[in-house]
Amino acid sequence: MARTRASKGNDAAKKGDSSTTTSTSKSKYTLSPPSNSPPKIFILPKKATNEARIVSLLHPRYATPTRYLVCPETGFYEFTRIAAPKSTPRSWLIQTNGHETSGVDAETTSSERDASFGTYVTSGAELFVATPIDPLFLILPTLIDPDAKSEKRRYVSSDDHFDRIQEESPHLWEILRWGEGRVRRLLEARLGAVCDTVEAGDESVFRFSEDKLVTEVLSKARRMSTQPLPRSMEEKFVVKPLEAPVLGLKRQVITTTTTTTSTEAPAETTQDDSSNSASANRTPGSKAEASESQSSVSSTGSGTSLTSEASTAATPVTSSDVEADSAALAEALRPAIVASAEVISLQRLRIAFNFLCSSYVPASLVTLLQAKLSAQPEVNFAPLDNYISELNRLKHEAAAARSAGDFARKRMLDDEELAERAEKKRKKEEEDKRKKAGESRGVRELKKVNTAGMKKMSDFFKKKT
Amino acid sequence: MLEARLSQSMVLKKVVDAIKDLVQDCNFDCNDSGIALQAMDNSHVALVSMLLKAESFEPYRCDRNIALGVNLTSLTKVLRALQNDDLVTLKAEDAPDSLNITFESSTADRISEYDLKLMDIDQEHLGIPDTEYAATVTMPSSEFKRICTDLQAMSESVTIEATKDGIKFSCAGDIGNGAVTLRNYQNVEKEHLNVDIELTEPVSLTFSLKYLVNFCKAQPLSDRVKICLSNEVPLLVEYLITGTSFLRFYLAPKIGDEE
Repeated sequence: MARTRASKGNDAAKKGDSSTTTSTSKSKYTLSPPSNSPPKIFILPKKATNEARIVSLLHPRYATPTRYLVCPETGFYEFTRIAAPKSTPRSWLIQTNGHETSGVDAETTSSERDASFGTYVTSGAELFVATPIDPLFLILPTLIDPDAKSEKRRYVSSDDHFDRIQEESPHLWEILRWGEGRVRRLLEARLGAVCDTVEAGDESVFRFSEDKLVTEVLSKARRMSTQPLPRSMEEKFVVKPLEAPVLGLKRQVITTTTTTTSTEAPAETTQDDSSNSASANRTPGSKAEASESQSSVSSTGSGTSLTSEASTAATPVTSSDVEADSAALAEALRPAIVASAEVISLQRLRIAFNFLCSSYVPASLVTLLQAKLSAQPEVNFAPLDNYISELNRLKHEAAAARSAGDFARKRMLDDEELAERAEKKRKKEEEDKRKKAGESRGVRELKKVNTAGMKKMSDFFKKKT
Repeated sequence: MLEARLSQSMVLKKVVDAIKDLVQDCNFDCNDSGIALQAMDNSHVALVSMLLKAESFEPYRCDRNIALGVNLTSLTKVLRALQNDDLVTLKAEDAPDSLNITFESSTADRISEYDLKLMDIDQEHLGIPDTEYAATVTMPSSEFKRICTDLQAMSESVTIEATKDGIKFSCAGDIGNGAVTLRNYQNVEKEHLNVDIELTEPVSLTFSLKYLVNFCKAQPLSDRVKICLSNEVPLLVEYLITGTSFLRFYLAPKIGDEE
C-alpha cells in the first residue's frame, strides 16, 4: 500500500455528488479567513483506480452513515481516523506545488486548482487512512431478519437484499451500478460467502446462513490471530487476562515498560486504528488504548522495541538489557502457571473474533455468533477455558492471601485508632474526674438511688415567675 | 456589695455539710433580708431550701441582690480551715467572680483569708407555697436520724404512717421487716426530747431512705427536727437554725410500686 497524500481538492473532486465548496482561493499576501471546510489529509491506496469514490454507507455495527472509499476494481475501503489526543494538539502544514501529482488519485485534479491551493495550515491534525474492508460486512445488515429463523428464511435475489437498505443508504444503490456491474458482482460474491445459494434460472438467489457467517468471521479471526495482535490489544486482552498471580512473593510492583514500538506491522496498525475510527460507541478502554498508541507512534524518540511475548511483556523491564533482565526476573518472579502457546493463540483467536463481532457485526447477531462459535467443531476452546478457570482459582487464592496481608495493614491502622481511642478515653476520664472533684460522695451515692415512682419537685411546686 | 459577718461560724459549716451531699453546685442568693438558697438534687425529686436571715449576721450589709454560684465541694474545702470559735466574714462585689471568706480567730490574733472562685449557675427557682400539713411531728433530730439509718439497713424505702396513736416508721426488705413507732412524749426537764404529734387526718406515705438519711446530715444544726406530711405532697423536713433561719428539705413520696 503506497502512502499517498491527497488534498481536499482531490478529495472533493472525487466526490461526484459533493456539494461542499472546496478550498478558498485567496491572494498570497492577505491572510485568508479560516476556512469552514479545511482540507483533510488522506492516505489512499495506490491500487485504487480513478473511478474510486467516497460514499456514505451505513456502518454495519452502528447503522450510522459512515464514509467509505469504494473502488469498482479493488473493492471497499474504510477510513481510519488517526488523531493526536486532545491533550497534545498538533497541526498539519500542507504545501502543494502546482506540478505535484500526488499519486494516482490526483491525476484527475486540474492543475489550476492545485496551483491556487498553495499552502495551508490546518489545526485538525487528523489523518485518514483508507484500509480495505470486506464488503460482506457492509451488506450484512441487509441480510438479517431478526424475527425469522434460519429455516424459515426465504431465498431471495440479491436485488431484494439490497433493496432493504436502500432508504437508509442511497449510495449503495448508486454504487451497485458502477463499473458495468463489477461492484455488484463483487458484492454478490461476498454475499455468497455467507448465504446458501440456489441457481434459479439465470439468477442466483440467496438465503442468509448463520453457520456460514460464523465460519467466515472465524477464518478472519484466525488470520488476525496468526501473528500477535496490535500491541495495545495484545497487552490488554491477551497478556493481562492470562497473567497468573505471582505467589510466594509479598509485593510486586509491576512497572509496565513504556518503551514504544515505533514500527508496527501494517496489519496491526490497520486493525488498531480501525477500532479508533469505526465509531464513537466503543469501549472507552479500547479507545484510550488506541489514542495512546497513536501518540506513541507519532512520538519521535522510540526506544527499544519490545518483543510481545507474553512472559516478558508482563515482567518489568527497566534496563536496555532486555533479554537478560527479563530472564532473570522471570526466574525470580515465577508466576504460578504460565500460559502455553496453545492457550495464548486460543485467547488471541477469541479476542480477534470478539473484536470483529463488536466492530463489524450488527449487535443483534453477536450473541448468536458467539453461541455458534462455541459449538464450532473445528475450534476447541477447552484448553483456554481450563486455563482460565485454573487462573481464576489462583487469583482467588492470591486475593485471599493478600486480604490476609491487608489484615496486617488494618491492624496497624487499628493501632493508631486504638491510640486515638485511648487518648479520647483518657481525656474523657480526665473531664469526668474534674467533674467528680466538684461532686461529693453523697451526690454520687444519690445518683444510684432508685427514684422510680417519685415525682419531680416541679410537679409539686410551680416555677416562680 | 455583700459583707456578712457570722459569729456562730459553725452554722455555715454545718449548713454546707448538710447540703453538699444533696447538691453539687448552687446559688446563694443574697439580698437585704438575708442569704437564701434553693436547690434540687440531680434527680429533681428532692429540694433543699435554706434561709439565713440577716439578723443571724452581725453586721449584715447587702446593697443589691447578689447570686453567689458556689461549688459546694469547693466551699467545704475552704470551710475545713474554719475553727470552732472563729468569726467568719463573707465578702463579695456586686457582680462577683469570687467570694472572699475571712476567718478571724476570736482568741488568737489570726486572720485567714480565702478567695473562692464563683461560677454562673442557671437554676430554676420554684415557688413553694405555705401548706397546711395533715400531720406535723416534732422530735429530736438525733432520734430521727437513728430511725432512718436503722431502717436503711433493712430496706431502701420507709413508710411513714401518722395516726392518732402515734407515728410509725415501717419498712420491709429482703431480710425481713421492721418498724419504729413513736408516741406523743412529754419530758418536762429535757424538753428537747419531746415528741409532739399534731394530726388533722391520718397519713401514710413512702419515701426513699437514702434521701432521708441524707437529710439527716443536717442533724448537727439543731436538736429538733420537724417532719410535716400530707398525702400526695412532698415531705418536709425542717431544721431550725438560730432565730427564724431554717434549713428545709422536701422529698417527693414514692407512689405506686411499693416493693
